[in-house]
Amino acid sequence: MEHVSTLMGSRVFASVIPVTLALLGVVIANLPISFLGGFVPAPLLGLMPIYFWGLVRPDLMPPFWAFAAGVLEDVLSGGPPGVWTVSFIVTFALIDRQRDAFAGLAGVWAILGFATAATLCCATAYTVEALLYWRIPPFAPVMSELAMSVIFYVLVAMFLGLIHRRLVGPLRGDF
Amino acid sequence: MANGTWTNRRARGGYQLSLVVLFVLAVALVLIGKAQSSLFDRARAHVTDWMAPGLEVVHKPFDAVSNWWNSLGDTMAVHDENVRLKAENARLKQWQTYAVVLQARVKRYQLLLHAVPDPSLSSVLAHVIGRARRPFLETMILDAGKAEGVKPGQAVIDTRGMIGRIFLAGEHTSWVILLSDLNSRIPVISEPGHAQAILTGDNAKAPALETLAQGAQVHEGDQVVSSGDGGILPPGLPIGTVIADGKSFRVALLADPASTQDVEVVDFKNPVEIPAAPTAKDLPVTAAGLPPAAPPPPPAGNAPTTPPLIVPAPPKPQATVAEKPKPAPQQPPATDDDTDNQ
Repeated sequence: MEHVSTLMGSRVFASVIPVTLALLGVVIANLPISFLGGFVPAPLLGLMPIYFWGLVRPDLMPPFWAFAAGVLEDVLSGGPPGVWTVSFIVTFALIDRQRDAFAGLAGVWAILGFATAATLCCATAYTVEALLYWRIPPFAPVMSELAMSVIFYVLVAMFLGLIHRRLVGPLRGDF
Repeated sequence: MANGTWTNRRARGGYQLSLVVLFVLAVALVLIGKAQSSLFDRARAHVTDWMAPGLEVVHKPFDAVSNWWNSLGDTMAVHDENVRLKAENARLKQWQTYAVVLQARVKRYQLLLHAVPDPSLSSVLAHVIGRARRPFLETMILDAGKAEGVKPGQAVIDTRGMIGRIFLAGEHTSWVILLSDLNSRIPVISEPGHAQAILTGDNAKAPALETLAQGAQVHEGDQVVSSGDGGILPPGLPIGTVIADGKSFRVALLADPASTQDVEVVDFKNPVEIPAAPTAKDLPVTAAGLPPAAPPPPPAGNAPTTPPLIVPAPPKPQATVAEKPKPAPQQPPATDDDTDNQ
C-alpha cells in the first residue's frame, strides 16, 4: 500500500514538472529586470517547455497548459490581453499536427524545428497586435525576440532534456 | 533534445477538439481585453504590488550590470565628452542668467495684467524597480502607487526630461508607458515654430512626430515640449529635439529610460479660477430695474449673516508631495546668435 502511494506521488510530481517549468519560464522571462540595459529582449522561455514536452510527452503537456501559460504571459508582460494566449495555442496546434515530423528531429534540426514553432508564435502575436491596433507594428523587436528565443533554446533544451531523463522519465516509469 | 526516442502514445492531432475550444476562448480573451481591460490591469497591479519587495532587492545588481554596459561606450570618449561638457556648461551659465532676468520680467507682467496664475505642479519621487522591453511594450515599474498619490495619466520625468506617463497604478507600485512605446501618444509643441503635433511611439528609440496643423513648420533642432492639450499633462515639460528621418521627423528624447534610477511623477492641477463675487448690480432682478429682494431673516441660532456666494473647493490632500513651480520653458526666447550679440 505504501509502495503504491509513493508511486502515485512520484507520478504526480513528475507530471507537474513540465507544466511548472513552462509557467516558471513565463515568470522568469517577464521579470522586469533587464540585462544589458534592455539591449536585448527576453526570450520566450515559456514556449520552450511547451514545445519540448508537447513533442516528447504530450500527455504531460495538454493544450490547457499552453493556454494557461499564454494567459500568464499576457498578465505579466503588460501588453494587451490575449495576444500571447492566441499565439501559444496556435503554436501548440502546429506542434500537435506536426508531432511526428518535429519529434523525429535531432541536433541542429531540432533547433530549426523550435525556430519554426517560435516563428509561428511571434508571427501570430505580431498579426494579432496589428489587428488590435490596426497599424503595422515595428518588425525589429519581434525579430529580436525570435532570435533570442532560438539562441536560448540551445541551452534550455539541454536543461529540459536533463530534467526529462533524470526526473520526469524515471518517476513516471511508463516509457 | 526532442529526438523521438519515446513512443508517442497520442496520435497526431489528438487534441483537436480542445484546441478549437481553447482557441475560441483565447480570441474571446482578446476581444474582452480590447473592450474592457480593467480586469487584467487589476491582476497586473496586484502581481506587481506583491513582487515589489523582491524586485527592489533583485534589481540592484542587474542595474549595476546594465549601467556598466551603458557606460562602456562613454568611457572610450571621456576626454572629448569632458571638453564638450565644459563648453556646454559655460554656454548654459550665460543662458541661466538670461532666463532668470526674463523670468522676473514675466512675473512682473503677469502681476500687471492680473494674468491667470500658472498651474501648480506637485510631484512624487519614485524609484525605478523594474524595466521590461517586450516586442509590443516598453515599460518601467516604479515603487510608488495609489497610496503615494500616483494616478494613471500622470507624467513621469527625470532630471533631463519627460520619460512617459503612468498607465497603471497599484497600491504601492505603478507602471509607466514610455514615450517610445508603441501605444504612446501625447500632444506636443515644437518650438520656436509653435507647431502642434502628436508624439507617436513606435518602439524605436526616437518616437515619430506627426504634425497636425497643415503648413506647420518643423525644423531639425527644434525643441519639443508637452503642449498640455487635454489637461492631463502639464504644458512645457521638456521632451527632446527634432531630428530628420527622411521626409518625416522624429524626436531624440532628452531622458534615457534605460539608465535612469529615480523619477518624479508629476501631478498637474489647473488652478481653480475664482471669479469676482457678483455685486447687487449683476443680479438679474436689479438689471431689470426692480429692487433687490430683501434677504430672508436668519434662522434662530448662530447662522452667518451673509453666506458666501462662491465657496472654493478645498484642495485635495497630497501624499508625500513637494510643491514646486512650473518648470521653465526649455526653449529660450533668443537664439545662440542673439545671445552672442548681446
